[in-house]
Amino acid sequence: MDDAVHVQDLLVDRGGHPVLRGISFTVPRGSVTGLLGPSGCGKTTLIRAVVGVQVVRAGSVRVLGEPAGSRALRRSVRYMTQAPSIYGDLSVAENARYFARLIGLGPAEAAHAVEQVGLADAADQLVGTLSGGQRTRTSLACALVGRPELLVLDEPTVGLDPVLREELWTTFHRMAADGVTLLVSSHVMDEAGRCDQLLLMREGALLADATPTQIRQRAGSDDLEQAFLRLIRTQGLAA
Amino acid sequence: MTALFASTRAELLRLTKWRVTWLLIAVWLTLNVTFVYVIPYLSYRTGGGGEITDGQSPESLLADMMPTTLAQSLTQGMPLFGGAIMLILGAITVGSGFGWGTWKTVFVQSASRSTAFLGTLVALAVVVVGTVVTTLAVDAGLSVLVAVTEAQPIDWPPATDLAAGVGSGILIFGMWTAAGVLLGTVARSPALAVGLGLVWAMALENLLAAAANLLGGLEPITDVLPGRTAGSLAGSFGGGGTPGVLTILGGGTAGLVLAAYLLAFVVISLTLIRRRDVV
Ligand SMILES: Nc1ncnc2c1ncn2[C@@H]1O[C@H](COP(=O)(O)OP(=O)(O)OP(=O)(O)O)[C@@H](O)[C@H]1O
Ligand SMILES: [Mg+2]
Repeated sequence: MDDAVHVQDLLVDRGGHPVLRGISFTVPRGSVTGLLGPSGCGKTTLIRAVVGVQVVRAGSVRVLGEPAGSRALRRSVRYMTQAPSIYGDLSVAENARYFARLIGLGPAEAAHAVEQVGLADAADQLVGTLSGGQRTRTSLACALVGRPELLVLDEPTVGLDPVLREELWTTFHRMAADGVTLLVSSHVMDEAGRCDQLLLMREGALLADATPTQIRQRAGSDDLEQAFLRLIRTQGLAA
Repeated sequence: MTALFASTRAELLRLTKWRVTWLLIAVWLTLNVTFVYVIPYLSYRTGGGGEITDGQSPESLLADMMPTTLAQSLTQGMPLFGGAIMLILGAITVGSGFGWGTWKTVFVQSASRSTAFLGTLVALAVVVVGTVVTTLAVDAGLSVLVAVTEAQPIDWPPATDLAAGVGSGILIFGMWTAAGVLLGTVARSPALAVGLGLVWAMALENLLAAAANLLGGLEPITDVLPGRTAGSLAGSFGGGGTPGVLTILGGGTAGLVLAAYLLAFVVISLTLIRRRDVV
């Protein structure tokens, strides 16, 4: 069991409609895997299945060798939701300390996480008064607290400026080098290029599970964005 | 056990860092002090018989402010405004987790949904007990102050009486907090939960009781409505004439009914939390 995530023939319905139509893939440990695809294709749903909060119709989702969502994973798996899920009426530091306490950690780990997202100067500010990007970073800090084995991040860099995005991706890769596995959804193409592995989705199915280089080659385009568009269009016609 | 402890510590951090918690407790203490000591004392000094103090004689006003009646002073404001305040606390504690979307991540990060939720309940219980004990301390201080100022002897009530008062206070506040928790869970929003709860506590119960009066035969039901039962429990310590304080049920019966409500509210909330999809 060297894979951090192992998904086999996953079927998920939401609101009575099929949203994931038979997805299989693996995420190797210590890697950064990008999850990409058009809006509404099922990225968040797939992520929810991996963290174990999604009712699944069929298929298996195993995380770090355990069924997704099992008790043994509560400490090792961290989840950052697409919409920030933090208390707007608490400060940045208080939110981080709240999530640290939930997993039995203290203020030092919380402060470190706040530093990692570059919010040390705003630590005492109420989350409700933060800018959108700062709020996203607070949410990310709460997911970073401690030492997770698997970090599942749903669009963690939305609304962030290029400098911050650069810093965060450096942090992600440093964590991966330390053995942390990251599964990151995104719709920014220059971020796709920074992933070790890419999962390209369309309408609930997996179009590609490959490295950025392989995807460029397959589509015959050096530009990842063009490659994606080409893959989505051609495979869309074939389907 | 350690997981429950971790969840409780996290929720206590949230509750104590929240300004709302302190604001609600401060409002309760202010109302308690105002209606139990300030207004009666002013009325006593001006000869008693005022409308707001229900035409009580100066002697009776003074007697109600003495340390001997501490259990009554502690509980008499609880059925009406105290309960409403605790209901708000319970409702926003749970409701805001839905409002901010935090339960989503909290449930993933905690040992289980039940652990996270029970941790919240234990933290609320700590706040409830702390509030009741603080109120007792404040009231004790003020009753001594009044006794000394008015050159009265300082006689304390029997310890059993005090213990019963504190226990009843915890039960009344606990029941209302649990009612708020249930509403927050059902409504999944702090504002809606608070609104529904206040409509129930402030209006609906009394309307139902009035209807029962008119129709007859419905008293066995309306007598054991949550707020009216809380009123009966407070009434077992005296304080008749205070709005919300009743003497329909005996203290023991009222206590049992309240405990049953508290348990039922907690069990229903927990079941909903475990079963429902968190959106
Ligand atoms: N609770 C729900 N009930 C019914 N349908 C839902 C529900 N949640 C999501 N869906 C539908 O499932 C599909 C996939 O949604 P999902 O949130 O996974 O998309 P996404 O790829 O994350 O999109 P985005 O990039 O916009 O975040 C969408 O068509 C959405 O409308
Ligand atoms: Mg999404």
